[in-house]
Amino acid sequence: MRTWRLTLFMALWGLGATVWAEPVVVVNAASAITKLGQDDVVNIFLGRYRRLPTGETAVPIDQPESAALRAEFYRKLVNKEPNEVSAYWSRLLFSGKTSPPLQAVTANDVMVLLMSQPGGIAYMDHSQVDKRFRIVMEFSR
Amino acid sequence: MNPSERAFTGAWRLRGLLVRSTLAVIAASLLAGVLAVAYTAYATSQRAHLASQTRLAELLDTMESTLAVACFVKDQTLARELAQGLLDNSDVLAVSISTEDELLTEKHRGPVTGVPGGASLKRLIYSPFDKQKLVGQIVLTPDPKVINARISEEVWFATIQLSWQLGMVTFAVVLMMLLFIVRPIQAMSDRLHRMDPTAGDRLAIPGRHASTEIGQLVVDINALSDRLTGALAAERQLHLQGEVEEKKFHTIFDNAESGLFLMDNQGGVSSWNPAFASLFGIGQQTPDVVLPALNIKQLPWHSPQQMGELLQNALLQNNAVTQDLQVQMPGSGPSWINMVLRSVGDNLLQGVMHDVSHLKESEASARQLAVTDPLTGLANRQGLQDRLHAHVQEYAAAKKGGFALLLVNLDGFRRINEGMGLPAGDAILQATTRRLCACVNSDDTLARLGADNFGIILNQITQGEAVDRIVSRIVQAIRQPYFVDGSPMSLHASIGVALFPGDGFDVPSLLRQAELAMDSAKSAGGDSHVFFDPLLTEAAEQRRHMESDLRSAIRKQEFVLFYQPVIDLAAQRLCGAEALIRWRHPTRGLVMPDSFIPLAEKTGLVVEIGLLMLEVACQQLATWQSQGLDYTLSLNVSGRQIPEGLPPDKLQEVAQRYGISPSKLALELTEGVMLHDIEKSLSWLNAVHELGFKVYLDDFGTGYSSLSYLKLFPVDTLKVDKSFVLDMRDDSNEYTLVGAIISMGRSLGLDIVAEGVERLSHLTALQRMGCHYVQGYYFSRPVPAEEFDAVVARVTALLAAPKE
Repeated sequence: MRTWRLTLFMALWGLGATVWAEPVVVVNAASAITKLGQDDVVNIFLGRYRRLPTGETAVPIDQPESAALRAEFYRKLVNKEPNEVSAYWSRLLFSGKTSPPLQAVTANDVMVLLMSQPGGIAYMDHSQVDKRFRIVMEFSR
Repeated sequence: MNPSERAFTGAWRLRGLLVRSTLAVIAASLLAGVLAVAYTAYATSQRAHLASQTRLAELLDTMESTLAVACFVKDQTLARELAQGLLDNSDVLAVSISTEDELLTEKHRGPVTGVPGGASLKRLIYSPFDKQKLVGQIVLTPDPKVINARISEEVWFATIQLSWQLGMVTFAVVLMMLLFIVRPIQAMSDRLHRMDPTAGDRLAIPGRHASTEIGQLVVDINALSDRLTGALAAERQLHLQGEVEEKKFHTIFDNAESGLFLMDNQGGVSSWNPAFASLFGIGQQTPDVVLPALNIKQLPWHSPQQMGELLQNALLQNNAVTQDLQVQMPGSGPSWINMVLRSVGDNLLQGVMHDVSHLKESEASARQLAVTDPLTGLANRQGLQDRLHAHVQEYAAAKKGGFALLLVNLDGFRRINEGMGLPAGDAILQATTRRLCACVNSDDTLARLGADNFGIILNQITQGEAVDRIVSRIVQAIRQPYFVDGSPMSLHASIGVALFPGDGFDVPSLLRQAELAMDSAKSAGGDSHVFFDPLLTEAAEQRRHMESDLRSAIRKQEFVLFYQPVIDLAAQRLCGAEALIRWRHPTRGLVMPDSFIPLAEKTGLVVEIGLLMLEVACQQLATWQSQGLDYTLSLNVSGRQIPEGLPPDKLQEVAQRYGISPSKLALELTEGVMLHDIEKSLSWLNAVHELGFKVYLDDFGTGYSSLSYLKLFPVDTLKVDKSFVLDMRDDSNEYTLVGAIISMGRSLGLDIVAEGVERLSHLTALQRMGCHYVQGYYFSRPVPAEEFDAVVARVTALLAAPKE
C-alpha cells in the first residue's frame, strides 16, 4: 500500500507539473463547440457575455472554491488571484446584470453539471478529460 | 513780467510738476496693476484649471477599477452609480461613460446649459483583465462656474491688494516730490526772481539738501552766477576799454595831418579822414552823409597811370609801397603828394598820403643851389660837371657834332682881391659874368668854378676856328676896363680850350686838359688862350715825375741848407746867416729852389721839406752854439706852411730839443704870405713871436706893402729886396727909396737887412743910410755848412780891409 502510495505520489509528482499546470477548458462532447479563443473563455467566465459561438447560452462552471485548479485556471486565464476574482464579482453582484459561473461543490460535481447543462463550459485538469468532454481551449505553455 | 504773472506761471509750473509726476506715477501704477491683475487672472485661471483637472483625475483614479469593471461587463447600473458618485463632487458638471459600442450612462448636474466652457477630461478605460484591451471611456466635464468663481475671487483679491499698495506708493511719491523737489524748487525760484547776482546775491541751499542734487544744483547755479557776473564785469570793462580805444583811434584818424584812407583792390575808396578830404577838396565823410563812390584813380593825378601802377605794386607786394605823385588840382598849381600804400588783406589797401609840395620845392631849390654859384648866379663846378656829363652822353648817343670846354682865369685877380678887398673882387666877378654872357649863345653853358675861374661849354663846335672867334671876343671883352669905385682897372684873361670829342672822351680828362691849357696860357704871361695840346700833357707828366722825385728826395734827405752870412754893420762882424735850401739831385746836380719850391708848394710837399729844414737849421745853430759862436739864423717860410704846416708848438719843441734859444732863429716871410690870409697869419705870427722867435719880412718893397699892416704884424726885421740894392745909385730913385725904407724901418723900431750887396759902394751907401745888417755876394754867396768857417775868415778879412 505504502509502495503504491509512494508510486502514485511519485507519478503524481512526476506528472504533477504537467497535470497541475494544465487546466483545460472543456465542453460536453455532445456540444457543437469544438474550439474557443482565450478571449471567449474570459468573456464567458467573467460575465461579459454568455453566448457561445453556436448561439447557445453559455453556462460557465467553476471548480470548487478551494480547488487549486480553480486558482491555477484564473491565474492562467486573466492573471488574477482567486481573491481578486472574488472582489471582481462582488462589484458586479450589486447591479445584478450578470452573475458568476456556476459554483460546483466538487470536482466531480463539475463533470456532472457539465454533462447536465446544455451550453455548459468548464475547466478541469487535462488528466481528468475523458470521452464525455471535449477540450475547446488549452493554455499555451 | 509782473509779479502776478510770475506767480501764476510759477504756480502753474509747480502744479504741472506735481500733476505730471503724480499722473506718471498713477499711470505707471495702473499699468503695473492692470498687468499684474491680468497676469494674476491668467495664472489663477491656469492654476484653477490645472487644479480642477488634477482633482478630477484623482477622482477618476479612485474609481478607475470599478469603471473598468462596469465597462467590461457594460453594466449600466454600475455605471450610473459611478456617475452619480462623480457628480457629487462640485467640480464635476457632467459625466458620460460609454463602452466601445454603447453609451452606458450620461449624467448632468442641473439643467444642461449649452456647451460647457471648460475642457472635458476624457479617460480611456481598459479591461480589468487585459490592460491592452480598451473597453470604454469616461468623459468628465468640469464645472466652469466653480473654476471661474475661484478665479474671480483670486483676481479680486489681487486687485484689492495692488490698489492699496499702489495708492500708498503714489502717496509716498507725491509727498516726497512735494517735500524734496517741488518745495525747494519753488523756494529757489522765488529767491531767483528776487535775486540780483551782480549785487552779490546768491541762492541759499534749502534745508536738509546740503548733500542732495538740489543742493548741488544750488551750488552749480551759484557758481554759474559767479561766472556770469565775472564775465559780465569783464565784458563791461572790455566794452568801456573798447570805447575809449575807439575814441582814441577816431581822434587820431580825424586829427591826423596825413590823409588816411582805406580802399579796395579796384581803387574804390571806402573811408577817408578829414585830412584826405581837404587834400583833394572833397566832402567830409561822416556817418550821416553818404557820399558818392570815390575811386582813387579818378582823383586829379597828373598821371593816373602812375597811380594805377602803384596800386598794382601794392597788391603784389607784402611791404608798403611809396611814391611821390603829382596832383593837378583844378584852380591851383601842381602839388606833390607822397602816397604810401599797404595791403592789409581781404583785398583791402590802407593808404597814407601827405602833401610834400614844400619838400619838393625845397629839394628842387637845394638841387639848384648845389649846382649854382651864389655870387654870380652861374652854375658852379658841380653844375658844370653835370652839364658836361649830360653833353658827353648826348653826343655819345648822337655820334655827331662836338663841343668845346673853355676854362677862363682872370690874370692878377688875386692881387685885386687882396689889395682892394673882397667887395671889389666880387664886383669884378659879377661884371665879368655879364661880359662872358654877352659873348656866348643862349644854349651854351657858363659856370664859375671858384675864385676867378670860369668854365664855358660851347655847343655845336667841331672846329677850332669857331672857338677862336668866340675866345677872341671873350679876351676882348675882359680887356675892357673895369670900374671899381669909379677908378678904371684893366684885367686880362688866360683861357684854356679842350675840344670834345677831339681831345678827350670823358669829363675828368676834358677838365684836366682844359686846365692844362689854361695853365699853359697863364705861364705864357696871360692875356691869351691856348688850345689843349698833347704836349701839355707831357709837361704835366714831367711835373708828376718831378713830384715823385721830390718825394724820394725827402725820403733820401737830398735837401740841404746853404748859408749866406749876414754882417752886422755897426759891430763890423759876421752876426749870422740866412739859410737857403738846395737840392742835391743825384743826376741834375745842385738844384736851386726856384725850380722845385713852386711845385713843392703846389703839392704841399713844402710842409714836409720845411720841417726837415727846421731840423737842419736848429742843428746848425746848436753846432754854432757849441762852438761858442753867437750867430742867428733866418729860415724862409712858405705861405703853405702857415699856419698848420709849421705850428708854433712844433717850432718850440724842435728848438728845445736842440737846446737853442728861440731868439737865434728868425722866420722869413714875404708880404704876400702875410697878407694872403691876414687873420690866420697874424695869429700864427703872434704865437711864434710870443715864443721868442724872430720874424723877418722878406723881399720888402716888391709887393703892395702896406705900412699899416706892417705896424699890425709883430715884425722884427725888414729885409730890403736885392733889386733895390742892386739898382742903387746916387742919383737913382731906388737910392732914395732904400733910404726911405731904412729910415721908415728905423722909425718903426725895426732892424733892416739889405740883401744883394755886391759892391763896396752898396756897402758904404747902406752904412751911411744907417742900415743895420747886410748880406750879399760882396761878402759871400750861400755856402754849405762845411765851408762856412772859411767864409767867416773871408768876411773878417773883408771887413778889416774892404776892397772894390
